[in-house]
Amino acid sequence: MRVRNCWIALGFAIAFAPAAAAQTASRVELSSPAVSVAVGDEVQLSARVFDAAGNQIDVPVRFFSAQRRDLPISRDGVLQPVKGGEYVVYAMVTTARNVRDSLVFTVEYPALDEVVLEPTGERFFVGAAVRHHATVYDVSGAERSEVAVTWATDDQAIASVDRFGRLTAHREGTVTLTARAQDVSASHRYRVVANPVRTLSLTLDQDSARTGDVIHAAAVALDGRGQRVEDVPIMFSLVSNPDDSIVGQYPSAEIDQQGRFVAQHTGDYTIIAVAPGHVAHGTVQITNRFASQQVQLVGQAAVRDVSTSDLWIWEGVDGRDYAITGTHNAKGAAYFWDVTNPASPEMIDSIVVDARTVNDVKISEDGRVAVISREGASNRRNGLVVLDVSNPRDVKMHSAFDDGLTGGVHNVFIHDNHVYAINNGRRFDVINIADPTNPHRVGRFELETPGHGIHDIWIVDGIAYTSNWGDGVVLIDVGNGIKGGSPSNPVEIARYNDFDGATHAAFPYRSPTGKFYVVMGDERGGPRFDGLQPGTPGLMAGYMHFVDFTDPLNPEEVARYEVPEAGSHNMWIEDDKLYAAFYQGGMRVVDISGELKGNLYHQGREVARYMAYDPQGVVPNSVMTWGAQPYKGNLFFAEYNSGLWAIKLLPQQQRLTQ
Amino acid sequence: MRGVWCAALLVGGVALASPWQSRTPAYLFYVASESEDEVALMRFVPDAGLSVDKVIVVGTLPAEIEGPHGLYVDPDGSHWYLTMGHGFPFGSLWKYETGSDTAVGRIELGLFPSTVSVPPVGGLAFAVNSNFYGDPEPSTVSIIDLESMIEIERAETCTMPHGSRFSPDGLQHYSTCMMDDQLVELDVARLEVARRLDVSPAPGSGAVCSPTWVMPAANGDYVYVACNKSHELVEVSVDDWTVTRRMPAPTAPYNIALTPDDEKIIVTQKGSAEVSVWERRTGKRLALVSSARKVTHGVAVSPDGRFAFVSVEGIGGERGAVDVIDLVSLRLVASADVGKQAGGIAFWKMVE
Repeated sequence: MRVRNCWIALGFAIAFAPAAAAQTASRVELSSPAVSVAVGDEVQLSARVFDAAGNQIDVPVRFFSAQRRDLPISRDGVLQPVKGGEYVVYAMVTTARNVRDSLVFTVEYPALDEVVLEPTGERFFVGAAVRHHATVYDVSGAERSEVAVTWATDDQAIASVDRFGRLTAHREGTVTLTARAQDVSASHRYRVVANPVRTLSLTLDQDSARTGDVIHAAAVALDGRGQRVEDVPIMFSLVSNPDDSIVGQYPSAEIDQQGRFVAQHTGDYTIIAVAPGHVAHGTVQITNRFASQQVQLVGQAAVRDVSTSDLWIWEGVDGRDYAITGTHNAKGAAYFWDVTNPASPEMIDSIVVDARTVNDVKISEDGRVAVISREGASNRRNGLVVLDVSNPRDVKMHSAFDDGLTGGVHNVFIHDNHVYAINNGRRFDVINIADPTNPHRVGRFELETPGHGIHDIWIVDGIAYTSNWGDGVVLIDVGNGIKGGSPSNPVEIARYNDFDGATHAAFPYRSPTGKFYVVMGDERGGPRFDGLQPGTPGLMAGYMHFVDFTDPLNPEEVARYEVPEAGSHNMWIEDDKLYAAFYQGGMRVVDISGELKGNLYHQGREVARYMAYDPQGVVPNSVMTWGAQPYKGNLFFAEYNSGLWAIKLLPQQQRLTQ
Repeated sequence: MRGVWCAALLVGGVALASPWQSRTPAYLFYVASESEDEVALMRFVPDAGLSVDKVIVVGTLPAEIEGPHGLYVDPDGSHWYLTMGHGFPFGSLWKYETGSDTAVGRIELGLFPSTVSVPPVGGLAFAVNSNFYGDPEPSTVSIIDLESMIEIERAETCTMPHGSRFSPDGLQHYSTCMMDDQLVELDVARLEVARRLDVSPAPGSGAVCSPTWVMPAANGDYVYVACNKSHELVEVSVDDWTVTRRMPAPTAPYNIALTPDDEKIIVTQKGSAEVSVWERRTGKRLALVSSARKVTHGVAVSPDGRFAFVSVEGIGGERGAVDVIDLVSLRLVASADVGKQAGGIAFWKMVE
C-alpha cells in the first residue's frame, strides 16, 4: 500500500500525551498506515503503550530512524522519506528499559526524470565501436546508479549496441542510439558515414624505457588525401610479455586511453592502437630501473624513555647544524641536538612545557625562532610556544600563545614571520611573530564543508598546502599573490578531494618535467584487535597519492606509492626523491624522477629503505618512522620509539649482474 | 537493574557487618586515561590493596591520541560506555562488553563529547558535547539508543556542557554549562530541555561559577553542582528549582559523588589536588584528603558507601593515578598508577 500526504492526523495525540508513570510502561506497539511509502510522502506513525497488565497508558514515545538522513522522522512521528530503500524505524519509551518496537519501511524511489547520454557527436564511422555511458537521474535530482539501463538502436543493420553501451557501426545511414531506464530514455541520432581512415600510424615517444617511465603513445589516422581524421575513435590496448611471467603476478603494465603507458616489470610490451578497420602497434623494451642505492647508518640521537614526534634540522646562526625533536604522548618536552657531526649527535638543551605531546616543531627561515605545538596541557589551555633558538645550547622562551588555541595545536608552519597553526583540528590560525615576544593573530582560514577537519599545513612560495582528511588537499594563497591572498586574508586557489577521507599530510613538488605534483599522504589505522596490550607495536595503513596540479583547476590523481604492509606518515621531497616515513614500513626513499603513473611501489623506484630497529626503544625493535628531512647529504628521520636517526645514501655502485 | 543494585548493597551490607578478614569483597571499577588511550580495569581489595586487573587499549590510531574521557557502566553491569574526545574532528561513543572488554559498538557524536551517563533503566546514553576548544557557542547533549547505537536526539543546551547524571527515577537528566553558568534539566521522556537555572554567585555576570559537574542526591530532592571557578559546592532544590545552599570549597571543585545513603558528598578538588568529604545534612566539611599527585579529576563511590575511588590526572609526563579513600576513616588507603591523565571513572561491581 502506498500513501501520499494524508496521514498526519493519526497518532499525534498518543505521541504527545502527558507524561505519566512512565516506569510502568511494559510494551509499545508501533503502527503505520503503510510500510510501503514513497519519497515525498508524509506518514504519521502512531504508537500505543501498555503496562504489564495490558492496559494502555499515556506516556511519551520517541520515534527515530536508523538512517535519519534518508528517512527522517519528526519527534511526533511524521515520516518524510527522502531517498528510496529499506529502513528500520523505531518507537521507544525512553523512560523504561527496552520498551521499543520497530517497523521496516520500504521507500519507493522517486520517479525517474532523465537519462543523460555521452559521448555524443554528429557522425559515426562504419566499423567504429565506442562505449557510451548513461547517467540516470530521478525527479529529486539524485543520481540513480542502481537503476538498470538497457541499450538499443533503431536499425541494427546500421549500428548495434551491446549491453555495456558499446555502439558498433556496420554500414552507412542514420541510426538512433537509445539508453532506457524504466520509463525514461535518452536518444542520440548519429549519421553513420563511410570510414575515411586509410592509414593509422602509432608513434611512441620512447621505444625503450625503464620500469616506471611513462611512455606516450600517439595514434594518427589519415584519410585518402592524407588529411588527419580528428574525430575517429582510437582505443589503446597492450600485449604484455614480461620477463617474469609467473602466474599470479600483479599487472605487468598499464595503458590509459590517453595513451600513457607504464610498466612495472621488465620485458617487452606491444602497444596497440585500434581505429575502425585499422590496427597499429609498436613494441617497447622495458628494462630494470635499478634505482636502488645502499644506505649507511650515520648516527642515532637516541630517545628511549618517551616517544619521539616530529623533527627539524637547521643551520644555526653560528654555522653549526642543529636538530629539534618533539615528544609524543609524554611529558611536553622538546630536545635540541648538535648534529654538526651526525655520527655523534649531542643533546645540548631541552625544554619542557605544560603538555603531554609536542607534536610539531618548526624553525624560522633565519634559524633564530622555534615554534613548538602543545597538546594535553594540565589546565586544558594548549596552543603553541615561541622559543629563542639563536643559541640552541641555551634555548629561551619568547612567549606562549594560547588565545583561541586552547584545543591544542597539532601542526605548525613558519613562513615569513607568521606561524600557521592547526587549531583544534578545525581551521588554521595565522599568528604574526615578527616580534616573537608578542605573537598576535592576524588571520584564520576554515573550510565550509560539513564536518570538515584539518590536520597539517605546509607552505612554499606563499601557497599553503593544507591536509584536510575527506576534503583532501586545499591550496591557499597566503601571500603568493596568485589570488590576492595574504596572511591576514588567505584565499583558496584549488582543492582535490580524497574519496577515502584520510589526507593527513601534503607536500608540493615541481618536477623538472614541468609537471607540478602535490603528494597527499593518508593516515589510517591498520588492523587493531581486541586484547591489544600496551607497548604492542602499532600498525598503520594508507598510502601516498600523487595529484597532478599542473592545471590547478583540473587536478588529476595519476599515481600512488603504496606499501602494502605499512601506512604512510610525513614526507619530504627534494631533487627527484621522495623521502617517505611509512610507520612500521620504516624510512623509504623513492625515485620520483620523470612523469609519474601507476603504483610507484611496483616500479622499481624504491631507492632505499631503512628499518631503524632499536632493542632498547620505547617498544623494543618496533619501527615506527614518523618524518624525514634530507639535510647536507644526510637523511635525518624521527623514529617514534627510538629518537632521531641519520643515514646516508651511498653512490650507486656498478652492477655486476642484471 | 534494581535487583543488581539491591544485591550489590546487600553484599556491601554483609561486608560491612563482617570483618574484612572473614569475608573480603573486591571492588571492580574502570578508569580512563585520556592521554594514554587506555582504560584500566581496577581491583581494590581492602586487605590486599589496589591493583590494575587489565589494561584495555582503546581507539583506532596508534600514532594519535584520541582522548578517552567519559566512562559509565551500564546499570545492569553488561557494558561500559566510553567517550572519545578527538576525531576528524568529531568525537565518538564506544560500547564495550564488561568482562571480555570487547568493543561492540561505536557512534560518532559532536565536538569533544566528554561526560556520559546511562539512566537507571538503561537503554540510553546521554553524552555532553563539550566542545572544549571550539568557539564559545551553544552545544548539545547527544542522546544515543544503546541497543541500536543510533543517536536519536541532539538537544541543544548551552556553551561548553559538562557533567551528565540522571535523577534517581531516571526521568530527568542534569548537565551544566561551564561558560554559561547554567544547570540544565532535560526531560527524559521528551528528550528536551525542561528547566534551566543560573547557578552563578553573580547571575548575569558570565562564567563566574563555571560549573563542571552536577550530581543528584539518591533521594532525588537536591542536586549538587561544582562551581569550579568560584570554588563552591552549590545545592539546588529540585522541587523549587532554586539554590538553597552555597558551600565554600577548596580550590576548583570538579566532580561530585554521593554515598548511596546521601549522608556524604565527595568532591574532587582539581586545583588543590585534594578530595573534600562533606556531611550533606549540615554542609560541614568532614575531611580534606590529599591526592597522590596533582589535578584530581573524577570520583565514584562503591555501592556500599564504604569507599571513594578517585582518578588523578597528573601533569605532563606523570602517570595518572587512582586513589582509594575510606569513607569511614576518611583517609587515603590505597593508590595505584594508571595511564597519563586519568579522568573518567566508573564503578562496575563488587565480587567475593
